[in-house]
Amino acid sequence: MTRQSDTTRILISKQAAQRLADSISRRRFLALGGGVAAAAALAACGSSGGGGSTSTSPGGTTAPGGAVDKKLNLYTWAEYDDPDLLKAWGDISLTIFDSNEQAVQKLVTGGGSSGFDMVVPTGPYVPQLAKAGLLEEIDKTKIPNFSNLDSRYTNQPWDLGNKYSVCKNWGTTGWFYDSTVVKTEIKTWSDFIKAAQTEASGQTTVLDAPPDLCGIYFWANGIDWTTEKTEDLDACEKFLVNDFASHIKAFNSYPGVDLTSGSFALSQVFIGDARAGLLGVQEAGEDVSRYKWGIGAPMTELWMDNWCVLKGAKNRDAAYDFINFVLEPANSVKDLNYHGYNTGIVGIEDLAGDIDFKDMVFYTSAAQLATMQSGAVNSAQDRIVKIYSNVKAKAGG
Amino acid sequence: MKKLLSVHTSMALWTAAVIAFLFTPIVFLMAMSFNDFKSIFKWTGFSTRWWAHMLDNTSLTGSVRVSLEVALISTALALVLGTFAGLALARRPGRWTTGFIGLILLILVTPEIVDGAGQLSWFVRLGGPFREGLMPIILVHTVFSSAVVTLIVRARVAGLDARLEEAAADLFATPSRAFLQITLPLVMPAVLSGGMLAFTLSLDNVVSTSFVSPAGVTTFPNYVFGLSGGIIRPEVAAMATLFIAATLLAVGVVALVLRRGGQTGTEIAATFTGN
Amino acid sequence: MTATIDARPSRRRGWLRAPKFLLAIPSFIWYVFLFVIPVALVVVNSFGRKIANVPGKVDLGSPNFDRYHEVLSGSFKTLLKQTMFTSLLGTVLCLIISLPVAYFLAFKVGPKAKTAVLALLMVPFFANFLLRTLAWRIVLQPSGFVSNFLQSGHWFTFGQALRSSPLQILDTRSAVQIAIVYNYLPLMIFPLWVALDRVELHLREASKDLGANRVRTFLQVTLPLAGPGIVAGLILVFVPLSGDYVTAALLGGAKGNMIGAEVANQYFKAQDAASGSAIAVSLIISILLVLGVLAACFLFGSKLVKRSRSVKVVL
Repeated sequence: MTRQSDTTRILISKQAAQRLADSISRRRFLALGGGVAAAAALAACGSSGGGGSTSTSPGGTTAPGGAVDKKLNLYTWAEYDDPDLLKAWGDISLTIFDSNEQAVQKLVTGGGSSGFDMVVPTGPYVPQLAKAGLLEEIDKTKIPNFSNLDSRYTNQPWDLGNKYSVCKNWGTTGWFYDSTVVKTEIKTWSDFIKAAQTEASGQTTVLDAPPDLCGIYFWANGIDWTTEKTEDLDACEKFLVNDFASHIKAFNSYPGVDLTSGSFALSQVFIGDARAGLLGVQEAGEDVSRYKWGIGAPMTELWMDNWCVLKGAKNRDAAYDFINFVLEPANSVKDLNYHGYNTGIVGIEDLAGDIDFKDMVFYTSAAQLATMQSGAVNSAQDRIVKIYSNVKAKAGG
Repeated sequence: MKKLLSVHTSMALWTAAVIAFLFTPIVFLMAMSFNDFKSIFKWTGFSTRWWAHMLDNTSLTGSVRVSLEVALISTALALVLGTFAGLALARRPGRWTTGFIGLILLILVTPEIVDGAGQLSWFVRLGGPFREGLMPIILVHTVFSSAVVTLIVRARVAGLDARLEEAAADLFATPSRAFLQITLPLVMPAVLSGGMLAFTLSLDNVVSTSFVSPAGVTTFPNYVFGLSGGIIRPEVAAMATLFIAATLLAVGVVALVLRRGGQTGTEIAATFTGN
Repeated sequence: MTATIDARPSRRRGWLRAPKFLLAIPSFIWYVFLFVIPVALVVVNSFGRKIANVPGKVDLGSPNFDRYHEVLSGSFKTLLKQTMFTSLLGTVLCLIISLPVAYFLAFKVGPKAKTAVLALLMVPFFANFLLRTLAWRIVLQPSGFVSNFLQSGHWFTFGQALRSSPLQILDTRSAVQIAIVYNYLPLMIFPLWVALDRVELHLREASKDLGANRVRTFLQVTLPLAGPGIVAGLILVFVPLSGDYVTAALLGGAKGNMIGAEVANQYFKAQDAASGSAIAVSLIISILLVLGVLAACFLFGSKLVKRSRSVKVVL
């Protein structure tokens, strides 16, 4: 949807900021008309009736006062939550998706929120879910620990005022490779492409997510990866289908561990997955230095995944309780150490202490952050998915 | 005679090799349930810790429960539908049989991906209960399995003497009595093996399940399918081992019952595989 | 094998004859509702257009063939051909591997051993489909036991090439081919065995008595008699195999992709039921085409056999 490329920062109290953000977001929503206005109306009155196709049970059940039944059904990414931490909170059942597109598809066609209580979409997909009337407006009074979040990670352009989402963690995308196969150091996405076409041809994996696949081309060529220009998209498709597809070995969103077992030589990765691969190597007592990783350059992705409560969630209060629980710094550190991504809690870097491969988790310097850009769900979305499908078909043919 | 022996031996060896081939991945999977490492794709040492972990993982146990419930209910439905249809096919042959068997064969050979895709579009149109809970999954599982049961029951009934039922009728048994006391016991072997097959088919189903399953309902294979991009822990292998053991036990029991019923091992195998 | 009922009238037997297909009606309704309508919907949807942001539904306002143009113009056509090739090869491999096993079972072993062998063949068939497929990832792992064993000095039969580098089969078409043969082998062995088993022993003996040798007996007596069973086996393997996407998704990586995966991809990732349907229909048409060509070859072949009587293996 809409993206704000430059943010203005003002100094006001938290509550005031909240109210301001709320009003801004409402005005923005209204300004966008049509379906979005419906979403705003939905947000205002809290009843169902968004522009989507699904029917939702109105309101949702409110748990009786006092202790919440600590039970949750969570729809999320693989290897994203520390099982011990989940157990420490209560009984959580996880279902895995491997791309935002898949999650949106299942939720929108899936009969409202009949099953899941929470989903963890990436930022730009939040408006799409909200528009379909699938998200519950978050009652932040039930999440006092919300204030533990660094203000850099709240009030994001795709969900001003955190109406529907709370930051779970954020991270970036880069590469991970076996230096015994890829002998030339990879410093940029252009190097990545070159290595994929030569040393690592037929041993390269890319993320199984359409925007990230196209991102490789855009980032390497200095094109804004949220571009909606037809000529950019055409060029991207031409390159990926004709010059890149045949070198791909697999479309895999979690290649880290497989790479270190020799299945692949070069992978496009979410950095935390590369860390998981290295942790595995370390655990097995093997040589870590063989594998190299890097954050995408000159440009790359900044993604933020968010806790969103689904409309009509059976365990809504439990969901709030759980979000509050993971926003507790001590718990957040445990979670961070498990999935390897910055959870955006104030002072988390110090709290994390001496964790393994710390530089793979924290890359918060202004210079580094300046190279990362959030994605967008815009008019190019269909085209991006088409490019991805064509690359897939070409790679197999 | 030397030559004959060599043909015989080479065929025996070939069969043994095929059996070894069929067991290879299963043995590897079972072995990996005793892996110490957190992934089944890399062996680091022996440990039974994942067997203990298995029951703590509520996502895993929850998906197993969904699978078992779906398999039980869909098997029951498939048995009712398939037994009746099989009886009708064998005892009431007519012009309609050709069309009906044609439909059943069509169901058996249509790629699951086509059914699944269509069933999703259809259920999305219908909405309501067709997009909630176990119902959509149960419904789609019964389609294939009831077709299989129908064929098995039909084959069994066709081989039976219709005069037994007629005699019962002549002896003034009511239709329901004749069915329960004569027909049902006679088709029981087919129902049992059909049920085993239906149950297995339901537990195996991934494709149409992944299409029609509503948000929040995950079966065991689909849970594993979802994990397959990332790390698969030995607890999954442990659960699979448990499943294999349970299935073998069930197959064994059914085979024993069939044997008591006077069938030879060969006949049992034939009914089991739907022939 | 069909029994006919005695048509003599009897008052009490009225219920035995009365409504011919009454008992099949629930099944019939069931199949129409859960199979015929959905498949028809796939065909209908393939003429439609995706509605933006509404996954699972299709705009049928102006039906057209655009989706088919897209499917048949792009890389999908190549993928479709690849899929057909993989499926045909898989089916032929299944047949070649199964035939000796089925023959052995039908004619070469005593009843006791037969039960044991059948049981052994059946056990893997009852293990979970997804997990036994996934397990091939363990077997074929480049750092796994098999790979290490092949690389170690204990193994002499294979050349230096295999020994010098880890096994690189995973995420290739070969991996899919292996697993496909593996998964569909039982579906071929059992129909073949049943078909051969039903060939009367005395017919084969008669053939031998009349001076035919073993090969001639097999080709001229056994094979034609078992023909229908073999054809059934071929269809039962080939058709589901062409639509299989789980095996490809688990083991094929980018290279071993099958068209079924693209159907799923259109539904799950692109949220485009119209394109997904068009690919699915193209798949069905391709399957029918291949079956048609095979049937024509088969008929032509059997005519040749009848005419010449000097037999070579047809099929």
